[in-house]
Amino acid sequence: MASAPRPERVPRLLAGCLPPPPPPPTVGLLSMEQEETYLELYLDQCAAQDDLAPPRSPLFNPVVPYGMYILNASNPDTAFNSNPEVKETSGDFSSVDLSFLPDEVTQENKDQPVISSRHETEENSESQSPQSRLPLPSEQDIGLGLNSSSLSNSHSQLHPGDTDSVQPSPEKPNSDSLSLASITPMTPMTPVSECCGIVPQLQNIVSTVNLACKLDLKKIALHAKNAEYNPKRFAAVIMRIREPRTTALIFSSGKMVCTGAKSEEQSRLAARKYARVVQKLGFPARFLDFKIQNMVGSCDVRFPIRLEGLVLTHQQFSSYEPELFPGLIYRMVKPRIVLLIFVSGKVVLTGAKERSEIYEAFENIYPILKGFKKA
Amino acid sequence: MPGRGRCPDCGSTELVEDSHYSQSQLVCSDCGCVVTEGLLTTTFSDEGNLREVTYSRSTGENEQVSRSQQRGLRRVRDLCRVLQLPPTFEDTAVAYYQQAYRHSGIRAARLQKKEVLVGCCVLITCRQHNWPLTMGAICTLLYADLDVFSSIYLQIVKLLGLDVPSLCLAELVKTYCSSFKLFQASPSVPAKYVEDKEKMLSRTLQLVELANETWLVTGRHPLPVITAATFLAWQSLQPADRLSCSLARFCKLANVDLPYPASSRLQELLAVLLRMAEQLAWLRVLRLDRRSVVKHIGDLLQHRHSLVRLAFRDGTAEVETRGKEPPVWGQGQREGEVGNNSLGVAQGKRPASPALLLPPCMLKPPKRICPAPPVSTVTGDENISDSEIEQYLRTPQEVRDFQRAQAARQAAMSVPNPP
Repeated sequence: MASAPRPERVPRLLAGCLPPPPPPPTVGLLSMEQEETYLELYLDQCAAQDDLAPPRSPLFNPVVPYGMYILNASNPDTAFNSNPEVKETSGDFSSVDLSFLPDEVTQENKDQPVISSRHETEENSESQSPQSRLPLPSEQDIGLGLNSSSLSNSHSQLHPGDTDSVQPSPEKPNSDSLSLASITPMTPMTPVSECCGIVPQLQNIVSTVNLACKLDLKKIALHAKNAEYNPKRFAAVIMRIREPRTTALIFSSGKMVCTGAKSEEQSRLAARKYARVVQKLGFPARFLDFKIQNMVGSCDVRFPIRLEGLVLTHQQFSSYEPELFPGLIYRMVKPRIVLLIFVSGKVVLTGAKERSEIYEAFENIYPILKGFKKA
Repeated sequence: MPGRGRCPDCGSTELVEDSHYSQSQLVCSDCGCVVTEGLLTTTFSDEGNLREVTYSRSTGENEQVSRSQQRGLRRVRDLCRVLQLPPTFEDTAVAYYQQAYRHSGIRAARLQKKEVLVGCCVLITCRQHNWPLTMGAICTLLYADLDVFSSIYLQIVKLLGLDVPSLCLAELVKTYCSSFKLFQASPSVPAKYVEDKEKMLSRTLQLVELANETWLVTGRHPLPVITAATFLAWQSLQPADRLSCSLARFCKLANVDLPYPASSRLQELLAVLLRMAEQLAWLRVLRLDRRSVVKHIGDLLQHRHSLVRLAFRDGTAEVETRGKEPPVWGQGQREGEVGNNSLGVAQGKRPASPALLLPPCMLKPPKRICPAPPVSTVTGDENISDSEIEQYLRTPQEVRDFQRAQAARQAAMSVPNPP
């Protein structure tokens, strides 16, 4: 019988497995020279990687292996983030070639206030803790799904932290999350598809709105042409309009569900039209708490996928039961999206509250699926 | 004796094991009260006097475990015995049922759901030991609907956070093939249809592997593929006598249900075999069709790996380029037909260009072209014109007409049922 390991041996074993302790964090802002040194170190590494990469813009090169994809995709962001710092450090980086930066990245940040605020907060935290910008990319292994999810996890951790923290806390996980965030690709609002030019199309949006008044469903069904009401079957009026082509469920409490729109704006317009119809029927309907509850998108990766292999390697996320359903159900953790993946390469993404979640989920799943392309 | 309990009458601890006419008794040595009487006592009284009773027969379980849970656990054990599973499976399945029962959602579920849960626990146990039990089999045993079963199965796997491996195809082939009643002559099975079990099993296994490699198994229910493979294997072992037998008749005399998709799986498998046959020179000249290729299945299976490589080119790269360049060979073919006849004859003799190795759903032409949706410039805050809303409302005259029509309909409906 094997004896239990002696307690004093265990910590040593564990110590061997732990990553080396982080460098002692400095409190407060670093001096300019120290910032420069760390920045140079990091950019030198990235420049070396750039030399290895093909000369084409890395964002549009579909053949780049995944490791390079992470590094190159991160480069535009870090290089872009470093721009304000370039001015601070007296133009030392004028020789850095930023021509591979696509126009869309800069455009996005002008249009979307959300993204720019994220950038600002990132810049703030980065200027405070550049010591954490150690060459981490080389240490990352090519563990696809977990890698991207861990990156995005740390990215999300940044948000609650950065608004409050003035100084970087000495805890290891926080510095790690900030360092990881500095190379995390930003989730674009417009689909800049780094992988291949495939963009998921939105197929259905479900939204709810509160009309804030009690409704007489019998009266609505009588006076509206486009309404159907069968109280024995379902306790709501089913109303349809032609433009945008949608269906609404209107309940007597005044709550309404609007389905069938192909974009968020169309869903909002349709909900307003339904509210207007109810208004015209004589009810004091208002338009409160409009909220998108679910978004469904679909796309085609255009190659067959070995679902049996995918369920073996991603067991904790996938559920594939051919006796029940021909597709594989992949529950992505970050973002929290459910994907239905079929053998023909068609992918359905659902469960999103925002358009960016659908795009992000597809960006995450595409490299995984490419891994299963070869039969 | 110490540790034996007290006498219920006088409370002394002096209990003695004695036998009265070969019936063992526990007697108090102080007052002579008989504490336990061997076979004539109840479990309850035995327990009260600290005699050993197995836990499953004891009242302890009855007190801690609710009646419906006991019923469920009994059903799990019964189901394991009906399926003739090894004894270790029973304990595992019972453990899963108990684990599931700890969740309040399961405790409060309807009886139908609890009944199906019994099947789910047994299925998960079998899957984890690579025992090939299909969901269809469990559903027929439980008289349950597959939809109900599927929803509860997925729910319980998520709830308990279990790792359930996929159905083991090789094991399923072995058990399913063994269930075909073709290995002995009987009044319904003539001698020429009887087949050796081992030969049929090995050939069926090879055919199923071939189907798996050529995308016929992914995403589909596994059983119809195995039915088709078994039929082909059986036919190919004695084609002269058996080519005349159809798939339906085969299943009937083997006493096995014919699953509906099996015939289309059969056609797909034959198409794959035909493509492979094109690569063998001595078969190419024979101009095989779906019936004659069966005679050569033995040869094809022997060289199946290299033949699949030769017969099919990688469909994955092809599909990606398809979007960029329209297929040029379609035009070339038409020109060939319009041109000289001699060229056409030569083209007919040329071996077929390798087909794409793709799942059948990708080989079929798309049912309808889905155009990209037009880019909409809706902002969501546009003005909504009154006329647009008015089109959805009934005029007062229309309302009156509608009400009248409804009243007439009600009257018409109530007439056939006089009070």
